[in-house]
Amino acid sequence: MMYIVFIMSVLYVVGFIGFSSKPSPVYGGMSLVVSGGLGCGIIMGSGGSFLGLVVFLVYLGGMMVVFGYTIAMATEEYPETWGSNVVVLGAFLVGLLMEVFMIMWLFSGEHELVGFYFGGLEDLMVLGEGGFEYVREDYSGGASLYSYGFWFLAMAGWMLFVSIFIAIEVTRKRY
Amino acid sequence: MNPLALSLILTTLLAGTLITMMSSHWLTAWMGLEMNMLTMIPILMKTTNPRSTEAATKYFMTQAMASMMLMMALTINLMYSGQWSITKMTNPVASNMALMALMTKLGSAPFHFWVPEVTQGVELTPGMILLTWQKLAPLSLLYQMATYTNTNLIYLSGLLSILIGGWGGLNQTQLRKILAYSSISHMGWMLIILPFNPTLTLLNLTIYIMLTLSIFMILTNTFTTSMSSLTLMWNKTPAMTIMLMTTLLSLGGLPPLSGFMPKWLMIHELTKNNSIIMPLTMAIMALLNMYFYMRLIYYSSLTILPSTNNMKMTWRFTNTKHTMTLPTLITLSNMLLPLTPMISMLE
Repeated sequence: MMYIVFIMSVLYVVGFIGFSSKPSPVYGGMSLVVSGGLGCGIIMGSGGSFLGLVVFLVYLGGMMVVFGYTIAMATEEYPETWGSNVVVLGAFLVGLLMEVFMIMWLFSGEHELVGFYFGGLEDLMVLGEGGFEYVREDYSGGASLYSYGFWFLAMAGWMLFVSIFIAIEVTRKRY
Repeated sequence: MNPLALSLILTTLLAGTLITMMSSHWLTAWMGLEMNMLTMIPILMKTTNPRSTEAATKYFMTQAMASMMLMMALTINLMYSGQWSITKMTNPVASNMALMALMTKLGSAPFHFWVPEVTQGVELTPGMILLTWQKLAPLSLLYQMATYTNTNLIYLSGLLSILIGGWGGLNQTQLRKILAYSSISHMGWMLIILPFNPTLTLLNLTIYIMLTLSIFMILTNTFTTSMSSLTLMWNKTPAMTIMLMTTLLSLGGLPPLSGFMPKWLMIHELTKNNSIIMPLTMAIMALLNMYFYMRLIYYSSLTILPSTNNMKMTWRFTNTKHTMTLPTLITLSNMLLPLTPMISMLE
């Protein structure tokens, strides 16, 4: 199980390299979708099934869909892909090379992976005064956002509200 | 900007800094920094030219990268210590990465490259907010977490900031870039004293903010942004020209003005801790700053450049800019030195 999560995190980084080498946003969005799906897989592999599904729904199903629609409105005639421009291809290959070096370094030290612990979200947290209540960490984290952490939620909601105003101000017509 | 949107954005800008300054949990501190960054962007883009857009983009890029590094430092700290408190970042990787992120947010060397370009690309008022208000939140975090960082990094960055702030400002004729390099230099002074006596960092911050606010307000009132318009300021408002002279001398750290107070106390504190070469270098490099301030004073107050006779008699229009806080700020930024024993209230 640990190796599946490790492979998913390597592919996650490769997806990031895919859009950091700056192709056209159409291909960057696709790379983001792949990275998002693999990130969800990492969270689920560590035992947090609820949070992984939240990532899928909100991030991929909400934000990436909207991002994809806006890219489709603003796309260009000849989008730049990883093979069309030598700069983009070079950046992608350099990033890939760095990732390969990092994997080689990780496996070089001992027999096991160096200091990786892919667990923790499936642990049970002890809540409640009686000492007999056990809750899973990922569910309790999501729930405590709405109970103990309601000011976090209030600030997050406020910032979402303000960012609409910011987006409108930034995209106002400029002469 | 639409007044409703502007009030919303300014309120959130205030709220972001206050949330960071009041927080003991790293996540809320990071949240306040993000609020600051996001709401600063439409303020920087208030004018409609591509220069402001470019400046806002540069600001967003550097600050977002710094926030990312800060978030990584926080999660590394959480992994190794299991807690989110700001004052106890015992893992050196986490604390030094957070230190570098906060130094990028402040604009100290070697992460200073965005400060002159962003300050020059925007108007005077957003530049003023950028150089004064945006320093409060990262410095409040640095004040709390600096004890566990590698102090050699702090000294290196501080010294480099003073050097770059001094040498960078020498060849400038645009006043906003001069004030940006002055900001870099003052950040260097604030950083160096942080491991020794953090109270002096806060004192330097307070006096620096008062001085920079005074200078920006004088420049805003007379619509001067470059040295060539500075030479014509004597005609419009002679009183403000003289006040600019004394405030610039205070910014350079000349006794008996207020700006001397932090520099004197810092050198005193450094020599008390058996450090001689570093305050010597800092004091000598502050002379570079003093040189270009003296150049500004020379061209604004001490000489009148050759001009035709009809330029010497301008028609005095009524001043539409409000100067409400300016007399108080100028008095504070010039005459605070006798009140030096009162810094014990900052402890």
